[in-house]
Amino acid sequence: MAEAAQTNQGPLTTIVDDWSSDVTTFKAVPWGKAMMWIFLLSDTFIFTSFLVSYMAVRMTQTDAWPYPSEVFSLEAFGTPVPLLLIAIMTFILITSSGTMAMAVNMGYRKRKVAVFWLMFATAMLGASFVGMQAFEWTKLITGEGVKAWQNPMGAPQFGSFFFMITGFHGLHVSAGVAYLLIVAIRVLRGKYDNTSFEIVEITGLYWHFVDLVWVFIFAFFYLW
Amino acid sequence: MATAEIPYQETAPLHHPKTWIGKYVFSQDHKVIAVQYGITAIAVGLVALFLSDLMRIQIAYPEFMDWFVEDYYYQAITMHGMIMVIYLLTAFLLGAFGNFTVPLMCGARDMVFPFVNMLSYWVYLISVIILLLGYIPGLGGPTGAGWTLYPPQTITEGTPGADWGIMTMLASLAVFIVAFTMGGLNYITTILQARTRGMSLMRMPLTVWGIFVATFLGLLAFPALFVSAIMMILDLKIGTSFFMPAIVSMGQTLAHDGGQPLLFQHLFWFFGHPEVYIVALPAFGVVSDLISVHARKNIFGYRLMVWALVFIGILSFIVWAHHMFVAGMHPYFGFFFATTTLIIAVPTAIKVYNWVLTLWKANIKLTVPMLYALSFVLTFIMGGITGLFLGNVIIDVPLSDTYFVVAHFHMVMGVSPILAIFGGIYHWYPKLTGRMLNDTIGKWHFWITFLGTYIIYFPMHYLGFIGVPRRYYENFDSSFYPASAQLLNEVITWTALFVGVAQLLYIGNLVHSYFYGKPAGDNPWGANSLEWCTPDTPPSHGNWGDKLPTVHRWAYDYSVPGSDKDFIPQTVPQGQSS
Amino acid sequence: MAEVGQQHPIKVYFLVWGLLFVFSIASYMVDYFEFKEHLRWFLIVVFMLLKAGFIVAVFMHMKWERPTLITAILVPPLVLLVLMYLLAFEADYAWASRIVYFGGEVDPIPLPPPTHAAVPH
Repeated sequence: MAEAAQTNQGPLTTIVDDWSSDVTTFKAVPWGKAMMWIFLLSDTFIFTSFLVSYMAVRMTQTDAWPYPSEVFSLEAFGTPVPLLLIAIMTFILITSSGTMAMAVNMGYRKRKVAVFWLMFATAMLGASFVGMQAFEWTKLITGEGVKAWQNPMGAPQFGSFFFMITGFHGLHVSAGVAYLLIVAIRVLRGKYDNTSFEIVEITGLYWHFVDLVWVFIFAFFYLW
Repeated sequence: MATAEIPYQETAPLHHPKTWIGKYVFSQDHKVIAVQYGITAIAVGLVALFLSDLMRIQIAYPEFMDWFVEDYYYQAITMHGMIMVIYLLTAFLLGAFGNFTVPLMCGARDMVFPFVNMLSYWVYLISVIILLLGYIPGLGGPTGAGWTLYPPQTITEGTPGADWGIMTMLASLAVFIVAFTMGGLNYITTILQARTRGMSLMRMPLTVWGIFVATFLGLLAFPALFVSAIMMILDLKIGTSFFMPAIVSMGQTLAHDGGQPLLFQHLFWFFGHPEVYIVALPAFGVVSDLISVHARKNIFGYRLMVWALVFIGILSFIVWAHHMFVAGMHPYFGFFFATTTLIIAVPTAIKVYNWVLTLWKANIKLTVPMLYALSFVLTFIMGGITGLFLGNVIIDVPLSDTYFVVAHFHMVMGVSPILAIFGGIYHWYPKLTGRMLNDTIGKWHFWITFLGTYIIYFPMHYLGFIGVPRRYYENFDSSFYPASAQLLNEVITWTALFVGVAQLLYIGNLVHSYFYGKPAGDNPWGANSLEWCTPDTPPSHGNWGDKLPTVHRWAYDYSVPGSDKDFIPQTVPQGQSS
Repeated sequence: MAEVGQQHPIKVYFLVWGLLFVFSIASYMVDYFEFKEHLRWFLIVVFMLLKAGFIVAVFMHMKWERPTLITAILVPPLVLLVLMYLLAFEADYAWASRIVYFGGEVDPIPLPPPTHAAVPH
C-alpha cells in the first residue's frame, strides 16, 4: 500500500497525508530505524559544528596553513605520493560501505550466514581503517612534529583540528566496529529470527553515516 | 494498513519487573522515570535557589557576609544560571513533563525504547553529580566564569575554578547532552511513530506539541554545545588554541595563539538561543492546555498555535547572535539578527492573543493551576516586551550587561516556565498520585510567588535603566547611580529571601498531599485529553489495560453547545456527547 | 512486515560501489594534478556532494523512502548552511581586523597587476 500511495500521488500530497495521519508519521518505518535516522540527524549537527569551527578558525588564521597534500604524502617506490595513505583509507571505507550494503540486502533475504560474514568483513575493514589512522597519527606526531598544540609548519590549529576531527570520527568508527560485531554475532545466533532483520539495516545506516562523514572530512581537510 | 500497525504496541511484551528495585529505582516505566527526573531536578534547583539568595544578600548588604568572597559570588552566579537553565528547567520540562505526558497523551503504552529511557535518567543523574563535584573543597571550587562560559577568561588564571571547576562543568554538560539525546530520541520517536488509533498530529494536545518541537530543537542545538565543550576542554587540558588567541595573562604570555574567541560565542548561542525555546515551548504547551481546561473552552486558534510553535522553533536557529551585539562580531550582523529576532515576536504574539481570546467570555474557574497559567501569560508578556527592547541593537547596546537584561531573561525564561511547571504539577498531580494537592497552601504559595516575582524583577528594569551593571560583586558605594538603587536592592533581597523560603510550601504540599490529600478520582478537572481516560488512577504499568484507546476528536471539546456535560473526552466518538 | 524491508537488486549496489570509487579517484586526481583556487574548490565540492548523495540515496536507501522521511531528515540541516555562511562571512572580517590591528605573518594581500605597463607612454 505504501508503494501504491507513492505512485498514485505527488510527493507533496504524500507528505501532507503522512503528517496528518494517525498512529505513525513515517509509514512502514520501524521504531528503531526512525530513532536511528533522528540520531543521525543530531550527529550531523555535531560533525557540522566541528567542520564549521574548523572553517572559521582556518579562515581567520594569519599564520600559514600547511598544505595537506604534502603533509600527508607517503614514500612509495622512492617518490613521495601525495595523500597515498588517505586514498587507501578512503577506498577501505567505501569498500566497507559496499559490504555493509550487501549485508543489509542479504538480511532481508534472511541469509544469516552471509549476513554474518559480510558484517564481519565490514567490521574488519573498519578496524583496519582505525589501524591506519593510528599509523597516520604516529607518523604525523613523530615524523612531522605536529602535536595537538603545536605545528612546526605554521598554524597550530592545523594539528588541533586534525586530531580532534579525525579522532572523533575514529571514535565513531570504533564504536561502529563494536556495534557491527555485536549485531553480527546476534544474527548468527538467531536472536532476530522472528523479526524482519531491520536491525541489520539500522546498523547499516549508522555505518554508512560514518562513511558519509569521512567523505566530508576527506574533502574539507585533506583536499582543501 | 492503519489498523495493521497498531497491534505491535497492543501486544508488545512490556518489561515487568519483579523486585522493588526494578519497579521504583531502575524502572523502565515512563511515569516512574518522570518522577525521578522531577525529584532530581527540583533538588538541584533548590541548590540554585539557595545560591541566588546568597547572591541577593551579598548585593544588598555587601558587608554582612564576610566569608562570601568575590570568587564565591561568581561561582554562585555561574552555578545558579547553569543549574536553573539546564539541570532544572530543561530536565524538568522535558525529562519530567515529557516523560509523563508524551506516552499518556499520545495513547502509547510507554516510550518506544524504555531501557534507553531509563538510561537517560541515570546518565542525567551522573551529570548532576559531576556538576556538584565542582564544590569538592580544596580544588578551587566550581567555575566562576558566568553561565555563558566565554573564553578566554573562563580558562585563564584568575577566574575562579579555571582549573578544576570548569572541567566538572564541561564534563557535566557533555554527559547531560548524552542523557538528553537518549531521552529526546525516545520522545520524538514515540510522538511520531507510536500514537494510538485516531491520534493524528493535529489532534494532539498542545503540551505534546510543545514538548515535541522543544525536543527537536534540543537534538539539533545541543550538538553545538557539545562541540564547544569538547574544544574548550582541549584548550584547557591539551593546550590547543581553538578559542584562545595570543594573550597576556597576569603579566605572562600564554602559549596559546591564533584562536577565535568569537567562535565559542557563536557556537554557544547557536545552542543557547534554541535552548531558550527548549524551555519556553513546553511551557507554552502546558499553559495552553491549562487555560483551555480550566476556562472550560476550546483553545482559540489551535492550528495557529501549532504552527506558531513550529515557526518559533525554526526561527530560533537563525537569531542566535542577538546575544552578541556587543561582542565585536561582524558589524553587519546586528541588522540581520535584530530583524530575525523581531520577526519571532509575530508567532509569539499570536500565541499570547490566542490565550487571551481563549479566556474571552469563557467559564473561567480560578483553580490553582489556572492561577499559575494566567500568571504565566502576564509574566511572559512582561518579559517578552522587554525582549523587543533588547532585540534592537541600538537599545541593546546601552542596556547590555545591566540589570535590565537580568530582569528580562528572568521574567521570560526564568519565572514564566517555573510558573508553568508549578501549574503543570498541580494539574497532573492527581493523575500521578490519585490525590489532590491542598488548595489553601497552593493559593498561598501562588500569591507569594507571583507577587514576589514582580517585586523582585520589576525594580530591576529600573536599576538597569539607571545603569546598575549585572554580575558585580558589590556596588553599594558607586557614585554612578542614585542612592535609590541601594534601597531597591534591599527590597529585592528581602523579597527574594521570603519567596525563596516560601517555595518550601509547595514542596511541603507535594509531600503532605501524597499521604493525606483528598482522593482525586479519575478526572478531577473534567479534562478531555487521553491521560484522564486511563482505566486506573494512577495509571498502571502499560497505561491502558488490554486495549489501547481510540481517539475520535481533538482534545479541546469543552462547553460544546447541546452536550449534557461541558467536556467531551477524546475517546468519545463523533456525534456522541459523552 | 514484508513491506518494511528494503530489497533491491544487487546490481545497483555494485554500480554505486563502482561510482564511489570513480569519484574518489577523481577527487584524488584534483589533488594530484594540483588544480588551484576556485577550480579546485569547485571540483572538490562537486565530487564530495556526488559521493555523499549516492551514499545517502542508495546505500542508506533514502531513494526508496517515502518523501515524508526524506524531507524530515534532509530539511533541518539547512539551518547549518546559515551558520556556515554567516561564520564564513564573519571570518573575512575577523581576519581583516587581525591584519589591520595586529599585523601578522601572512603573504601581503595580492595587489592588482600593475597597470602602468599597459598605459602608452
